[in-house]
Amino acid sequence: MAEENKRYAMVIDIRRCIACHACTVACKAEMATPLEVNATWMKIVEKGAFPDVRRFWLPRLCNNCTDAICARNCPTKATYKRDDGIVMVDQHRCIGCKYCIASCPYDVRYINPLKNIVQKCYFCSHRVDAGLLPACVETCPTRAMVFGDTNDSKSEISQILASNATVVLKKEMQTDPQVFYISADEAAMSSIEERINYYTEPAFIKLRI
Amino acid sequence: MEHGDVNVVYSVEHQLPLIMYIGQYFFFTGLSAGSFVISVIATLLGRKEFKPIGKITAILAPALLIIAPLNLILDLEQPLRFWHLFLYYNWTSPITYGSFLLTAYPIMGIIYAVMVFTNRQKAAKVFGILGIPLAISVHGYTGFILALAKARSLWNTAAMPTIFIVSAMISGIGLVVIISAIRYRWFDKKADAEQKEQDKKVILQLAQIMAYVIMMDLFLVLSDILVLLTAHSDAYEAGWLLLSGNFAFLFVGVEIILGSFLPILLVLGPKSRKSLTAAVIASILVNIGVYAMRFVMVIGGQTPPLS
Repeated sequence: MAEENKRYAMVIDIRRCIACHACTVACKAEMATPLEVNATWMKIVEKGAFPDVRRFWLPRLCNNCTDAICARNCPTKATYKRDDGIVMVDQHRCIGCKYCIASCPYDVRYINPLKNIVQKCYFCSHRVDAGLLPACVETCPTRAMVFGDTNDSKSEISQILASNATVVLKKEMQTDPQVFYISADEAAMSSIEERINYYTEPAFIKLRI
Repeated sequence: MEHGDVNVVYSVEHQLPLIMYIGQYFFFTGLSAGSFVISVIATLLGRKEFKPIGKITAILAPALLIIAPLNLILDLEQPLRFWHLFLYYNWTSPITYGSFLLTAYPIMGIIYAVMVFTNRQKAAKVFGILGIPLAISVHGYTGFILALAKARSLWNTAAMPTIFIVSAMISGIGLVVIISAIRYRWFDKKADAEQKEQDKKVILQLAQIMAYVIMMDLFLVLSDILVLLTAHSDAYEAGWLLLSGNFAFLFVGVEIILGSFLPILLVLGPKSRKSLTAAVIASILVNIGVYAMRFVMVIGGQTPPLS
């Protein structure tokens, strides 16, 4: 089980990432997520106009925040934090009130349509407990994702964090995210540019009734 | 836009978590809290002409609060696990305050109603005064539910609980005006002309109070929008979503014009101020406006994408 002196985190080096979606596929297989929902995915944006165009991407997963709003707001403590920092959801306790989904600034939580409970990325806690790496990290062909214990100063992740410029998503939310990005593009990290289009789309189409 | 020419090729957006069950729940608790406060005020004043209104509202408050939580349970993905709320409470979650408030408030409301109907004035006053903080917090906490869901910039403002309490008062008074008018028109045949005249006067007075509370609400909404438009980028987008986005028709058209300005004109206008019909139409419009406000807040607040 979770050891007290561990603090798990992930670094994603986007200079290495080739947006191959292998992490998405590995996660889908490991977590058995149904269609339409994803615990891990690759966000891709295009910037500029021809001939100066480039794609930027960002692998997305739960930030397993130190100060998780979801865990604070869960009325039944179904969402809780392990001592090693992983934010868990107790499947048997969750009542599906969806308040955690509404509170999460990263849109990483979803209702599993088959089980009718809330799920998300748990850094593959079951694999970590067995001494393995999370499925996405294990799969990543360019080793862009590094997972490990930040309390151990000799671990690979601590050394990468100490020697690289890293950023986190939505720092202003005061959540202290534990997924760090190297060389992430601002447009890919921001959700604002998506809003160019959403004024013109009917608001009701995303409603599930 | 600040990013120049940016086009999202692929991203995952999960479905809106809270749907209109939640908005309806807010609407019903609002009606209940509003009518309870009016009932207690009528009881405390103790004047004979307020008695019928005090009795109607004493029944309305607990009755509406029995309907309201049903919406919440229907909204759960696992409705049969609703009892987890009481067994595994979490004191940092506003939903936990709610599950206890929603239990205590209707009990207090029922005791109060019994006291009012058995004509025990003193006990009714005591339970009424004890019930008012409960009624206000039962609706105020719903504002905290939205305000503490930090991710959504439309909700994350300190004005939210106050806006909810004030709009609850508006819709509550509106409902009381409608029901008292129905009683006045069809169910109060035995009363003499003088009694009738007095009933009408009380209903019109209530409608006028409603108009003043609407003005307060308009001020709160104005300050909320003004601050949203001058705050950080997410809040700015949320402000424009209400003013010119998908929700502009519901917000500006239904909530502000149809649900606030028109009722104020109808109730306080020199031609229609003596008319009961105008007061009833104003009350119906007000309730439509408050329902639209719940929709705009709950659904609109979740529309800006976060991923």
